Amino acid sequence: MRMGGLGRAFAGALAMGAALGLAMAAQAQDKKFKIGVIFDLTGPLAGGGSELQYLGVKIMNDYFIKQGPIEGYTIEAVYADAQSKPDIAINEAVRLMEQEKVDMVAGIYSSAQCVPIASRVEQAKKFLWLTTCISTGVVEDKHYKYVFRPQASGQQYGLTTTDMVANIAKPNFGKEPKDMRVAIIHEDGAYGVDVARGNEMGAKKAGMNIVLKEGYSATAPDLSALVTKLKRARPDVVFHTGYNPDISLLLRQSREQGFKTGGIIGQGAGYGVYEKLADSLGGHAQYFFNTDPVSIWLANPKAIDPKLQPIVKMVGEEFDKAKPGQTIRSAHVGIGASNMYVFFTQVLPVAIKKYGGVDAEALRKAALDVDIPEGGTMLGFGVKFAPTESPIAGQNERSYPVVIQYVDDKPYVVWPKSLAQRDVVLPWPAGMTYSYK
Amino acid sequence: MQSFLEIFDIYLLEAVINGILFGGVLALLALGLNLIFGVIDVTWICYAELVMIGMYGMYYLVSVFHVSYWIAAPLCILLVAGMGALLHILVIQPLLSAPPINQLLATGGVLFFLQSLATVAFGIDFRNLGIQLPVLALGEMHFSYSRLLSFAAALVGMVAVYVFMKRSYTGIAIRAIAQDRQIMALMGVDARRIYIVTSALGGALAGLAACLLVLQYDVHPFVGLSFGPITFLICVLGGLGNFVGGFVASFVFAEIISLGGLFSDLEWGYVLAFGFFILMMFVRPGGLLARRQ
Repeated sequence: MRMGGLGRAFAGALAMGAALGLAMAAQAQDKKFKIGVIFDLTGPLAGGGSELQYLGVKIMNDYFIKQGPIEGYTIEAVYADAQSKPDIAINEAVRLMEQEKVDMVAGIYSSAQCVPIASRVEQAKKFLWLTTCISTGVVEDKHYKYVFRPQASGQQYGLTTTDMVANIAKPNFGKEPKDMRVAIIHEDGAYGVDVARGNEMGAKKAGMNIVLKEGYSATAPDLSALVTKLKRARPDVVFHTGYNPDISLLLRQSREQGFKTGGIIGQGAGYGVYEKLADSLGGHAQYFFNTDPVSIWLANPKAIDPKLQPIVKMVGEEFDKAKPGQTIRSAHVGIGASNMYVFFTQVLPVAIKKYGGVDAEALRKAALDVDIPEGGTMLGFGVKFAPTESPIAGQNERSYPVVIQYVDDKPYVVWPKSLAQRDVVLPWPAGMTYSYK
Repeated sequence: MQSFLEIFDIYLLEAVINGILFGGVLALLALGLNLIFGVIDVTWICYAELVMIGMYGMYYLVSVFHVSYWIAAPLCILLVAGMGALLHILVIQPLLSAPPINQLLATGGVLFFLQSLATVAFGIDFRNLGIQLPVLALGEMHFSYSRLLSFAAALVGMVAVYVFMKRSYTGIAIRAIAQDRQIMALMGVDARRIYIVTSALGGALAGLAACLLVLQYDVHPFVGLSFGPITFLICVLGGLGNFVGGFVASFVFAEIISLGGLFSDLEWGYVLAFGFFILMMFVRPGGLLARRQ
């Protein structure tokens, strides 16, 4: 049968349409959103918590890669090892941006790496999503346009801890806050200095008596002089910010030198890796504290958006597969996972749909649109980023840490009171190695 | 005046004694490095990484395979001694006549190799033996038995090496070859054998340090970063190859860190110690106990 002129024209149009459709489909498939993730996978910071944060971010990246394209964009992740060195971290950030041509940089554990990387990424007009590092100095008075941090800041860590001690001083210690003797010790990097600044601000505000405030290098081979000074200062409470292995060394030398106090309150990093903390204390870290965002597995399920529960479960299952036999699922994993989840669900789709792409400008506008109320993230807090004109531009103004206490190998939220799962055990009871009772 | 006198309390004495004990740790580390440099004239930049491997050896033997500490310790000393000999045969020997910078870079390469190898083989976790030695309490002062043990080992090690070098045939040959590498071969001394023996001895001392440090520190692939640079500085301060100088420098360095850290910030203790090192490099470039030239 011969095809008429009209038929040929129709068939031609059909073929053209099909070809165009295929081409468009191919183009859509070609749309990629490439994320460059930087964490310390080797070096001292890796075991101090960075590798666990990486795991959290990777679980979430893999989840969304498996889910398929977001608004037509396929997700691709490239991972870089900062090797616990700021210079390597900067080089890796530059490599990811210039050679790997990533659309955004994410992750970063150490504040000492965050500060210079934020500046480099901003200069390159790329988008930076800081899941982990907490130093206020990363964003303070910088007015960056493309740097965003859903994570709580270091000063908030320090303030939350002192707030707890100021409030329990009278009922637990039988002292007014002004009679409380507190010591602030910290590793001397951007992270430790910032948390200590929060401690100092909080302690002064409450009128507490700061009997010692001192920094030290996280790689120092000997902290015995610091322990001697702590013994001389006789603090009721010690606020400690450290990585690892400095936490182990301090606790070991404190025991060996017979240092006694009312309690040592750890703030993030090494104190968030329970297995290692317990290991360095001879098996159990009974009544030790850690100030950090709440573990996603500890957050009150009733106070969290119910839609997030399957995601929390999925992250837990993936964690168990990656780290079988752990006593406590590390809060670090949840922090990385939750903060990436916010990006994939609240920032990326909006940037593509509302602002027409995945360039830094579109992502920035989408990030500034984010308005999640309390309970809207797996970490419990909401998300609203400070605008560019703010002194803390890019910082999530709704984030906050909580104080966790380990009791019988389990973590419990003990502060703030509204989220507390049990009462604070402080001062430490008699019989504990470090207790002054 | 009264506030000035207040610093002369029991805690000052504790800091002084802790400084001495920390000096023992540093002296133990410096002993092997000094031996290698004094004889072979090569600086093992990777010395602290050998200690790290020894610490892992102790961890696996004691904590994983439940071998008694006292059996594991000599095994580890032998292991690291073997590694020291192997390091010489594989890396140093081919470079003996090469410029010093090549030797330095080669041992630097071994440093990164061992760190990476440990990361791949053992992972990034911090590990410890879980042995908590008792504490010696004297009134308000407390001292760690693990540090006292290191101090004693450093003292015994120092004397043993001294006697070995002065009294034994091999020791005398080692000293002779350190003085003139070329001429000793003409006198019938097997220089290659002496180098291997010295390297094994240096490794054994690193192994001994590992057995004692593992009681005080967590093991991880980068533990050498805490000790490597400071050990090297102490050897230079004492005069590279000078055992007694290295021994004295360890205690001077440790006391500056301890007392500087007590009277000021801990970081200032290190600043003062490194400042002292720089000053001494101008005043006594040959080391603390070098004869003035």
